[in-house]
Amino acid sequence: MPFEVVSGSQAAAIAVQRVGVDLVAAYPITPQTAIVETLANYDAKGELGCDFVSVESEYSALACCNGAAAAGARVFTATASHGLAYMHEMIHWCSGARLPIVMVNVNRAIGAPWCLDPDQGDSLSQRDTGWMQIYCSGAQEVFDTVLQAYRLSEELLLPCMVVFDGFYISHTYEAVDIPDKEQVSKFIGPSNFKAQVVPGEPGNIQGIIPGEIQHQLVKKRSETMMFAPSLFEELNKSFEKIFGRCYRAVEVVAPIGAKTAIFTAGATAETVRWCLPKMEGTAMIQLRMFRPFPAEQIRSIIEKNNFERIVVIDRNCSVGVGGILAQELKAALYGMSKLPAVHDLILAGGIDLTGEMLGQMVEESDGNVKTGYKWGDELL
Amino acid sequence: MKEDMLEFRLHGRGGQGIVIAASIFAEAVFLDGHYARAFSLFGAERRGAPVTAFIRTGSDRLMPRSRIYEPDYVVVFDSTISGDTLLAGLKREGTIIINADSSWTKRLPVGEIEKATAKVFIVDAREIAWKHKLAIGSFPMVNTVMLGAMARISGLASLDSLFVSIKKRVSASIDANINAVKDGFQCVKEVNSFAPSYD
Repeated sequence: MPFEVVSGSQAAAIAVQRVGVDLVAAYPITPQTAIVETLANYDAKGELGCDFVSVESEYSALACCNGAAAAGARVFTATASHGLAYMHEMIHWCSGARLPIVMVNVNRAIGAPWCLDPDQGDSLSQRDTGWMQIYCSGAQEVFDTVLQAYRLSEELLLPCMVVFDGFYISHTYEAVDIPDKEQVSKFIGPSNFKAQVVPGEPGNIQGIIPGEIQHQLVKKRSETMMFAPSLFEELNKSFEKIFGRCYRAVEVVAPIGAKTAIFTAGATAETVRWCLPKMEGTAMIQLRMFRPFPAEQIRSIIEKNNFERIVVIDRNCSVGVGGILAQELKAALYGMSKLPAVHDLILAGGIDLTGEMLGQMVEESDGNVKTGYKWGDELL
Repeated sequence: MKEDMLEFRLHGRGGQGIVIAASIFAEAVFLDGHYARAFSLFGAERRGAPVTAFIRTGSDRLMPRSRIYEPDYVVVFDSTISGDTLLAGLKREGTIIINADSSWTKRLPVGEIEKATAKVFIVDAREIAWKHKLAIGSFPMVNTVMLGAMARISGLASLDSLFVSIKKRVSASIDANINAVKDGFQCVKEVNSFAPSYD
């Protein structure tokens, strides 16, 4: 299959073109702009094969996707940071309406003041909106995950956010294996989910309902989303047969006898993976799927490998609590008989993670302390 | 993990095309059989503001996703950028490639460069860019000249692969850019004496 040197953002856009969607509605925002640009270029050359709606805001982008998906269209949008925050109300609406929308979010810090660095707080702060969220660690993963997101979404009738770090991935040019449309169609056929709105058949959808019914709908949505980790692994089996690559909701790299595991999501996972051979006794757990949170898989990885200490790398901060991945991880570990110590390195805003910092963090978290955290600037 | 990773740090200003140069170089290295990644740091994106771009090359696809602090190569597209910034972290016996005429020693900290035992190469990219009429207004586009110099000194990218990538990524003046690469490749020369020049 042909490799091309493209940026992470270009990889996302090319994946959307290969999937073949019915509608793209998007508004450019740094560091996601190259996605919209690449799709607009396809459109200008007549190679997008669908409607490209240039909207006046991110709210309208998602509203537009919402309407089109309700009519049975396969749709795409992409955003970042303030754009995602601006969509917030619609983000809830899409999942409540059970619309299989795929959106890319490129991580960028949220103001004030303005900052372009890849803080993951923009997407992590949308964790309660009922969307699946998958974090990628490189451009190849971005391409592959966009494909898989459509399958997940359309099978579960839940929207899916594909997330990757600004600059570290969005603006990094690297070799990506890019299959053609025909290859991609072997994995992902035409969409066949049922339209909620049919032209010529007037009706009312998403009208007002009593709380007891809403309760049941939320329960149903929640139960449905819990199938995502196992469905993801199943999809990856057929993905591997076609493309030779395979991903798991939670990935582990564990040298024999490792007692400490570094737990992270996104671009930092590759930095950690690269540093591992130089860090004796250290493993890595890469969280791809953040929603639903694959608690069972994480617990079984920790039990199986007997990890005594987890060092979380959080490129975000829920002010007043701490790193979000660490909070989620601790909740998932509740009730384990052999509870590992959890330490957190908070890189919120935009602190670059180097091998030296990683080594220092792992060393300092050694000992009997059960939990603790460190701010990235304390390690510089 | 293989230990042959090499790291480049490119310094220039917004509008000089250093980001696209980094991606062209990375693509050429990849076409020649190694893995490569190019990425950049943006502040606010505007013409004239300092821009830093990075390239990593190696035979392993896995590379860290962090900035580059100890480059093997520093490539200076604009020698009016502060010398401290340029030399920061350069590996001992690393390599500096500078876009400059012979007066570069007046602007850059020669003593520091000597201490770092760096190999220094210069190419008058500005002059070559003018010769090929590669300019936006009064702003010479030196990026493709620097690519030729980088290819020659590092030996990591062939001219043919650079041309393939340029044809793909550059939309105008392709022939002039290709000739600029050839001239950069030809004209880059090692500096053996750091004595100040008085010409």
